[in-house]
Amino acid sequence: MELFYIYSALLLVAASSLFSLCFQFQMLQQNSYYASRYFKWIKNSFAVTSVILSLLYFALTFLFTAKLYKYFFIFAAVLFVIRLLLMIRRTKKSIKPIVFTARVKRLFAAALLVLVLLTLLFALRKENISGQLAMLLILLLSSLTPLLCFLSLLICSPVEKAFNRYYINDAKKILKSQKGLIVIGITGSYGKTTTKFILNRILSEKYNTVCTPKSFNTTLGVVRTIRENIKPETQVFICEMGAKKKNDIKEICDIVNPKYGIITSVGEQHLETFKTLDNVFSTKFELLDSVEKNGGVCLASLDSPAICERAGKKPHALYIGKGTNYYTSDIKSSPLGSEFVLNIKDKRLPLRTKLLGAHSISDIMAAALLSNMLGVSDNDIIGAVASLTPHEHRLQLKSYINGSTLLDDAYNSNPVGSTEALKVLGSFEGMRKTVITPGMIELGDMEYEANFNLGKACAENADDIILVGKNYTKPIADAINETDFNTERLHFVSSFKEGLDIFLNYADKNSVLLIENDLPDNYLK
Amino acid sequence: MKINMAVFFGCRSVEHEVSIISAVQAMRAVDKEKYNVIPVYVAKNGTSYTGDRLFDIENYKNMESLLTTLHPVTLLRENDRVVMRFLDNKLFKKNEDKNIDICFPIVHGTNCEDGTLAGYFEYLGVPYISCDIISAAVGMDKKVFKDVLAAHNLPMLDCICFTAKEYRAKQKETLKKIKDEIGFPLIVKPVNLGSSVGISKVYEENKLAECIDLAVSFADKVLVEKAVENLREINCSVLGNTDECEASVLEEPVMSDDILSFSDKYLKGGKKQGGEKQGMASLSRKIPADLDSDKTNEIKDLSKRIFKALGCSGVVRIDYLMNDKTGEVFANEINTIPGSLAFYLWRESGIEYKELIDRLVDTAFYRQRKRDNLTFVYESNILESANIGGAKGTKGKL
Repeated sequence: MELFYIYSALLLVAASSLFSLCFQFQMLQQNSYYASRYFKWIKNSFAVTSVILSLLYFALTFLFTAKLYKYFFIFAAVLFVIRLLLMIRRTKKSIKPIVFTARVKRLFAAALLVLVLLTLLFALRKENISGQLAMLLILLLSSLTPLLCFLSLLICSPVEKAFNRYYINDAKKILKSQKGLIVIGITGSYGKTTTKFILNRILSEKYNTVCTPKSFNTTLGVVRTIRENIKPETQVFICEMGAKKKNDIKEICDIVNPKYGIITSVGEQHLETFKTLDNVFSTKFELLDSVEKNGGVCLASLDSPAICERAGKKPHALYIGKGTNYYTSDIKSSPLGSEFVLNIKDKRLPLRTKLLGAHSISDIMAAALLSNMLGVSDNDIIGAVASLTPHEHRLQLKSYINGSTLLDDAYNSNPVGSTEALKVLGSFEGMRKTVITPGMIELGDMEYEANFNLGKACAENADDIILVGKNYTKPIADAINETDFNTERLHFVSSFKEGLDIFLNYADKNSVLLIENDLPDNYLK
Repeated sequence: MKINMAVFFGCRSVEHEVSIISAVQAMRAVDKEKYNVIPVYVAKNGTSYTGDRLFDIENYKNMESLLTTLHPVTLLRENDRVVMRFLDNKLFKKNEDKNIDICFPIVHGTNCEDGTLAGYFEYLGVPYISCDIISAAVGMDKKVFKDVLAAHNLPMLDCICFTAKEYRAKQKETLKKIKDEIGFPLIVKPVNLGSSVGISKVYEENKLAECIDLAVSFADKVLVEKAVENLREINCSVLGNTDECEASVLEEPVMSDDILSFSDKYLKGGKKQGGEKQGMASLSRKIPADLDSDKTNEIKDLSKRIFKALGCSGVVRIDYLMNDKTGEVFANEINTIPGSLAFYLWRESGIEYKELIDRLVDTAFYRQRKRDNLTFVYESNILESANIGGAKGTKGKL
């Protein structure tokens, strides 16, 4: 009977730790499988529930060492139920659920392996110290699932490395076999995804194009796109390149060897890892270095102040925007879009777009110029730009419940874009303007300042402000409190759903809601 | 990487053999550096086959033995790719699925050229050469073709059109109407067959009923139009897509009879050259047609307008009837997949067959890109938020 209790309890403990692992792996996935970023998230999201859970596990350990096996079993069952309920609640609240990729499955397998091995050790050497230790280790790992999560990551790392090496070589081989393929790299602190989609749309007038989907922009995202999407007829590959640290861009460039490049902007994104804007600048301009090596052309936008200040350091880029031969003028904007003229040396190209905000015009300029260089006709450029529609969640104008208007900018999280989005919100004159936002993250030392500025822009342009998560949004609230904004119309909520409910109370045809930067769960607190 | 190109030919059509000749010619001309040609032969019973022996015209002489060496196949869509699957796979003798990047139909006549194959490719979502469903269908039906030209004020001959049933029910009235409104000599033809099958020229009343009977045995719908006097036939090919196209030099087929017959088009042309039938390419004809430059340009311009009016794509050949005395020109018919793909006209226009095929491939991908830029499937799923059976209907929450 004793043995039955022990093993049943063990089974329950193992199962409940797998429930918890589900959540841990989800967070690990959202932190791109970086252990450091994952642990930082754990540090930031320390919750009372974890303390209570640890205490419960402590009690469980005590019951086991005291040889009270029956109670040990009952306690394990209780814990099993608690963890199951916790998991169900978390899945329901989740905005970006875990994706069961092959990698996640391997992680689960590794975790299971650890638990099974420890159980075996216990079963074989029950009375010995090593058997007892194995049991204690199982209980410890189950109570501190992040530790088990980390252990799985560690076990899997050599396997993952081998897989990655194979994928990268395969991608290189595919690109090599594609004769005459034009590869275009796009990077920048912000605007790169939008620029990529615009460029893809314009170039598709003339070429068979493939671009990295969504905001895929890591080495492995790029490699996956090459392996899955490049077809024999592909003539142009547009590759978005993201960087969180130095050499990230170079690493992607070494795989794809871009002949053309666009550097949209240099800004405060990921300053936590970059430390200084100079580092961001030199990392983004790794694209220029690679393009130069391949004998091509790399555009860089002087509309970004940080590039403008440092342009002298990299004289070989083709600078565009204010003060160059390539710029936009005669801009007329409304809540429904903009009209402007693109000047290419002496040529004036009149363009019209439904995309909102001044930053979109800058993105269109870079894409249209490169398309012009690649031989797309003026009429095709004009037509393609006019047909552009905002991408899902990127300052997208939609009709919403009860005839209200929704400005969906959920995927944006950069200071320039969010200020622009609020200006667009402000342009809806005569309507009740609401903004809901959790603020911006990963801006390092600039985070406070950037969010503070966002707060000022909110107070200037919105009638109602809904802030999601009290801790992260403090800088925004600080800024708002400095203005004469009526604090009764400033709301704090703990989730988007709650925030939406506030808006839905008064949503009608005269109200407009801006959703600004809807982050994955791991920052919602 | 080479582009996998599936060449479709044969099919359940009276022009089955003609299609084989056109396809074998084209497969020889394809640039092997760029394309990996996969022949897909659709037998007369409708079964599709592939196999290496399909590249050589000699092998078609003994059809039975050819079929035994081929593999039955089918195309299907898997995720975002279209693959060709072998239907005779055994456990230890398995042919891997082949990705199909582009389909190239070289088929003539009903059940294929009339938009049927285009519809199949659209359904699969694979890029394909040649006209889309609607232009191919309009091109196949001579009456609808006339109606579309009339709507665009393009020159064609007025006609009387009736179904077999209508004719049988009111034979006398119909014959009288034809005599009064059209007059002799006149042409009787089925509305939907190419290659002159079932067409006859009627000079006198007592032959009319006989010729109509012949025509209704080939098609359910028949049309009767006035025969053009002082007739010269002029053909022009158009290459491109609805947004941009160009016209080839003109040709004038040399007639042995009053109208270019099936035997003129395909049987007499069978002068052996390297043991291969030459199809349309070998017909006796004058290229370029002996016309002054004004008339030539008029017909070329007309051809491009017709091409755009129908919304064509790929390469087509438009056949005209011309009254040599008055200079009047009437569009007679359009071949949305012309015999030999009219390569002999393009060669004279400075485009070799190999390049012609490259250009055709471009038109296919161009059309595909235009479609991809439109929205067909919305990413968001209305069902996710719909409260089925609830009081609110589809006006659920976001």
